[in-house]
Amino acid sequence: MHWIALRWPPEIAADTKAALPSPEALGWWALQFTPRVAWVDDEALLLEVSACERLWGGRLALMREIARLNPAPEVPVQRAQGATSLVALARLRMFARGEPPPYELPSGLPLDTLSAARDHLDVLAHLGCRTWGEVEALPRGGLARRFGKELRAALDAAYGLCPESLCWLTLPDAFEQKLELPALAEGAPELMWSAHRLLAALQIWLRARQRGAVAIELQWTLDLRRFNGVDLPPHQQVTVRTAEPTQDMAHLRRLLAERLALTTLAAPASWLRLRSIETTPWAGASTSFLPEDNRKGDRLHELVERLSARLGAQQVLRAVARADHRPEGMQMWRPALHKPKPDARPTPGVGAMYPPWLLREPLRLEIEDERPCYHGRLRKLVGPQRVEAGWWGEGQPAVRDYYIAESPKAGLVWIYRERPSACFTSEAPRWFLQGMYA
Amino acid sequence: MGLPSFDSFSSSARHKLWRGDELGLADGQVIGTGHAALDAQLPGGGWPVGAMTELLQSAPEAHAWQLLLPALAQAVQGSTGPVALIGAPQEPFGPALAARGLPVEALLWIRSEAPAARLWACEQALRCADMAAVLAWLPQARVGELRRLQLAAAQHDALLFVFRPDTAAHSTSPARLRLQLAVCEEDATQIDVHILKRRGPPLASPLQLPARSERMAALLAASQLRRKLRQQQEGGLPPMTEGATVVRLGLHPEKVHALDRIALAA
Repeated sequence: MHWIALRWPPEIAADTKAALPSPEALGWWALQFTPRVAWVDDEALLLEVSACERLWGGRLALMREIARLNPAPEVPVQRAQGATSLVALARLRMFARGEPPPYELPSGLPLDTLSAARDHLDVLAHLGCRTWGEVEALPRGGLARRFGKELRAALDAAYGLCPESLCWLTLPDAFEQKLELPALAEGAPELMWSAHRLLAALQIWLRARQRGAVAIELQWTLDLRRFNGVDLPPHQQVTVRTAEPTQDMAHLRRLLAERLALTTLAAPASWLRLRSIETTPWAGASTSFLPEDNRKGDRLHELVERLSARLGAQQVLRAVARADHRPEGMQMWRPALHKPKPDARPTPGVGAMYPPWLLREPLRLEIEDERPCYHGRLRKLVGPQRVEAGWWGEGQPAVRDYYIAESPKAGLVWIYRERPSACFTSEAPRWFLQGMYA
Repeated sequence: MGLPSFDSFSSSARHKLWRGDELGLADGQVIGTGHAALDAQLPGGGWPVGAMTELLQSAPEAHAWQLLLPALAQAVQGSTGPVALIGAPQEPFGPALAARGLPVEALLWIRSEAPAARLWACEQALRCADMAAVLAWLPQARVGELRRLQLAAAQHDALLFVFRPDTAAHSTSPARLRLQLAVCEEDATQIDVHILKRRGPPLASPLQLPARSERMAALLAASQLRRKLRQQQEGGLPPMTEGATVVRLGLHPEKVHALDRIALAA
């Protein structure tokens, strides 16, 4: 058995104001080295590595790897090793106090590094016992009667005489973490500041599970039950979705920030909870050396999601071609956020004479001397192109004659005359502008 | 042995020297405009990739597609991503653009009225690696904001076209290439292209580019001819004998949709 004890000194974390991931997340991070990881006294992380140290190239290489992959780069991780977990922990405590390790292990270790002996330090000091070895030399029966069974059992475990039992950490199936805010959050930026820590934990969880996040939910607990005479729900939440599974938190963080900026907090928030709604297995990214594959910049779906988050999904559109004879039905603009299905029937060649700009609402043209006007009197150049369609649907059928006409100021335009449905009608024909060539 | 002669020095340093009376070289990649007369006047022979090109015109929707479609079709073929249209003045009509080489699926239309949102969207689009080209209509952009876009385009090697009103022609701009477009006064079928700024000597007289696509010009000519013939027949004049011009309508020979055949009975 060989043990490694790890500790991220909280005093350094407080000095550098670095956001240390939650203890749970640090444990998940350590699970990448060995399946046997446990937290002891909320102080140190213990890793049992005898079975896996060859995989990492020996103890020294493993210790270097742990330091290199430190999840909180601002806070250096303190490391100590030992033959049993208690020895590793005691050496870590001595290292944290800046004391050199004793020459003789484990007998030379000072008693205050043993958790089980901490209640009896004064009595043991009066007996003249200052190190583990001196207590271990006391008669077993008397020691158990005087100080209880725990001290003797701890010493047995520390000397490797009996097996140790620890509560091993396991990785949950779904991510869910709660965090109490340092102060009541009034606005979205304060929430975002705290959400960073949860996102860092989410990233560690995703890496350990080898999954990519597709949808996450950030929920905050409202501190007030009623506000301005209105009953409030206990929670508020935002959900963020992305098209491609990701382990990169920068994109999710930007999406969350955009969504939070559009959300108003009904009341100050006190707790924050992040959970994963949907994750998919992470395939990893393949690397290429070709320069055209390595263009720097965001991916397209990230751009679309970011634009949609700020401007609204209805403002970022992609076109879907449709088979229709009415110009307004030939294309549909759909939110780019939902991937449009590729068109089954592309119709090539149609539309060489169509105008590149379309007016979604045809503009009713004024009539002057029985001729339509748009920035001056229009001169019909080409036409008519007759369209009779839409009788199957709701609303008016489209019965139109299309012309290409020239306006003295606006250039070429695409206009149509609505043919009256009945043959004998007294109404004057109506002219509309539907496209511009320019 | 000895010092290099001045000639060999100047030939080795030629690519770093630019003389004011000749057209400059493009720093990076260019995409051909598809108009030979314009290519001849642009540094490097095309639209610069990784720099802002400013197009000034009085009507925001005029001439945009006629001028840019060949280059956009080329850019879309070379990349997997779309062409972003930011603040387009009207709805782009897919079938017409698809017929000229720009597929409908390759359009990403970002509708936004607020100038700040347009600028933001434009910058985000430039930061996207998959984007084939960015077309932005920015009537109210200031110089500082344009400089930001120019830097983003240079950083990410993007093809960026910015449309602005022609009142901005006299103000300064960080764009590397500035063109002013207007309909030719003598001939409405031509566009006058004034090159306001380029790496090279100023252009004294404007370039002329056709304002209509070849097919459209052929169609208009054909219908005009037909109208003239009919007038002659109705007026009882003898038909023209010497100038029997044959105009071929360049419609698709392979698959012609019924709608594409426009009845020539004006």
